[in-house]
Amino acid sequence: MDFAEPAHWAALRREAEAFAAAHVAESMIVEELETGDGVNRPLMLALGERGWIAPSWPVEEGGAGLDRMESAIVTDAIRRAGGPTIGYGTTLLPANAVRAMGTPELKRAILPGVARGETLICLGYTEPEGGSDVFQCTTRSVRDGDEWVINGQKMFTTFGHLADYCFLLTRSDPASRGPRGLTMFLVPMDTPGIDRQPVRTMGYERTNIVFYTDVRVSEFYRVGDVDGGLHVMRAALEAEQNIAPAARTPPLFRAACGWAEHTLAADGTRMIDGPNVRERLARLAIDAEVTELLGLRAAYFEELGAKPGPHAALFGPETYVVWSAEIVDMVGPEALVAWDDAEAVAGGAFEFHYRSAVASTIYGGSSEVLRSIIAETHLGLPRSRPKAS
Amino acid sequence: MNLGLTDDQRSVRELFAEMFANESTPERVRAAEPLGFDRALWDVVIATGALGVGISERAGGGGAGLLELALIAEEVGRRLAPIPLAETTAAARLLDAVGSDDGRDDVRDDVIAGLLAGALDGSRIVSLAPHRAPLGEQLLPDGAIADVVLALDGDTLVACERPAAVVAVRNLGSLPLARWTEPSAFTPIASGPEAVRAYDRAVDDVRVLRAAMLLGLAREAVEIGAAYARERRAFGIPIGTYQAVAHPLADALVNVDGGELLVWKTCWALDEEQPSGPALASMAIVFAQRSAWHAAQHSLHLHGGYGFTVEYDIQLYYRRAKAWGTVFTDPARELHVLADRRFGPALRPGVPDAPALAESSR
Repeated sequence: MDFAEPAHWAALRREAEAFAAAHVAESMIVEELETGDGVNRPLMLALGERGWIAPSWPVEEGGAGLDRMESAIVTDAIRRAGGPTIGYGTTLLPANAVRAMGTPELKRAILPGVARGETLICLGYTEPEGGSDVFQCTTRSVRDGDEWVINGQKMFTTFGHLADYCFLLTRSDPASRGPRGLTMFLVPMDTPGIDRQPVRTMGYERTNIVFYTDVRVSEFYRVGDVDGGLHVMRAALEAEQNIAPAARTPPLFRAACGWAEHTLAADGTRMIDGPNVRERLARLAIDAEVTELLGLRAAYFEELGAKPGPHAALFGPETYVVWSAEIVDMVGPEALVAWDDAEAVAGGAFEFHYRSAVASTIYGGSSEVLRSIIAETHLGLPRSRPKAS
Repeated sequence: MNLGLTDDQRSVRELFAEMFANESTPERVRAAEPLGFDRALWDVVIATGALGVGISERAGGGGAGLLELALIAEEVGRRLAPIPLAETTAAARLLDAVGSDDGRDDVRDDVIAGLLAGALDGSRIVSLAPHRAPLGEQLLPDGAIADVVLALDGDTLVACERPAAVVAVRNLGSLPLARWTEPSAFTPIASGPEAVRAYDRAVDDVRVLRAAMLLGLAREAVEIGAAYARERRAFGIPIGTYQAVAHPLADALVNVDGGELLVWKTCWALDEEQPSGPALASMAIVFAQRSAWHAAQHSLHLHGGYGFTVEYDIQLYYRRAKAWGTVFTDPARELHVLADRRFGPALRPGVPDAPALAESSR
């Protein structure tokens, strides 16, 4: 048991912070708030040059050969600086699935571009009629010679308007229901028949509805076995559930501390010297600490090849959403001012967090799905969701 | 960075897990009520040398750190072992810290060495008063069974001998609580800023050990609840199938796993004298108090009316889930201690800095 950071972590953090200072400009942060794309191509290319898009991949595959905890240091530095990480961070989930289960030809075609920061892959799981119940998929894929013809509709395809590929879940066996009879594809997004409709969110994000009409995809782009999509999806979902990229309780804590230390009350004392603020921030400090520890635990377990369970992905967002609301009360009316108004405090952070946090408890299938996973796999409780027959 | 236990630490945990599973059965826990002290179990624990694990080798201890003690405390918590672990362990370490063999004050050194030897061999129970108030004004955690209580009087650390008449106070957690109202003979054993620092450090040991006990309690409460939810049926299916039953148990388990890491990090930080150590100790006890109550409350609740009856073990956990923390502190007050440690002392008045005195609270 040793919580001391190895000496080289500090150097790596400094390096990543220097990189972020050089590449994440104020204008990039404003652009992200305005577009909500979650993507900045020049930043991705610069990261790719260092092997920092996929830092845990070996150097010969375009990564930086870092372990999970070192990788988290790099990504965290970019996120702290305010750089958009959703695009390339999400890309890694399907990229890792391809790396594990794709054909050698597909790997050669896709993975080097991902590592260089040239290739974006969005997720095509969710459908209008099935959110958390992802295997209720109705998007059809029909084989036609060396090609597949895809018809259907996907919901919440974030950065789908910018992505090069979509990691698409389809039903290849029309007689099947539930998790069987599914097949995964990496669909090139410039294929004819793909139509994207923007969906704006209250959290300053843009996402998309994507329609697939007679979209023809080469057999080359199939990932995993025909009707074996469950196997591929399970690995990709588990990867998503074991990380907690949306757990922003610690940055919220830092922002709230910064406000409390630098804001004066009417009597001239600092807000941090008032009992209400102190008690609240002390409680938040605990949840931020536990969030960080569970994140560290997830990276540590992953590095050992063990399964940490979705603890971090549950605790982080659940505390984040509660604190995003409570801190607005603590800061008061000024917390309500949006980032682009001159009266905004902390750059509008508290207004932003309140808007943004509610989405974080939906990632990975929703907190309810994560709790069911814990109840079933760690406590031996019966499955609560009906099985598809 | 290494979040794994060493082989030695794993052995400590396994040894005590097995011992308490055998020696601190629910029957034994019940038999020790209401006093909350099982002398035979205490003798077994003393014989293992548990109290000396965190004592320096110079003083005849095992030379291990706080983490090993926290692992033992967690197992105590899981089985509700009716022994006085937290304050006695902290007291022994305090004696170790203020004792020296520099020969400058032989009489005082002999007193300390004698107290420590008696504590480690089990001939006397040496406990700690966790608050800086006169002994008569606090319900001492081990007051009904302790032979000696270490307390801070001004900037002097004193060893107080048990007065003649001490009456155990019947209480929610079946803890050996008592007030030492009669004056007791006392011996000063250290004084000055170093004595105060050592005492504060001992109180941080109490925070960590009580946190570990509470988390061990919470872990077992979750286990008991899950076992019942797998078996008990309502509306034709096991109640664990219902998410309203299962999901709070999942949250409770996440809290226990997160809290355990928090305790472990605190042990590391205090042992390594990291500046973050005291703040982490406050975080650990607050988080553990909250987590233990939620775990025990939900687990009891899902037993329905049965959980409310004395025959079911979960009520043993529910009562202690509150008592083990409250006997040390109110978590809302502890948050202000945490704030002082994390953000610096408050510059604005308005928050009391000591627990209510006994007389004024009646």
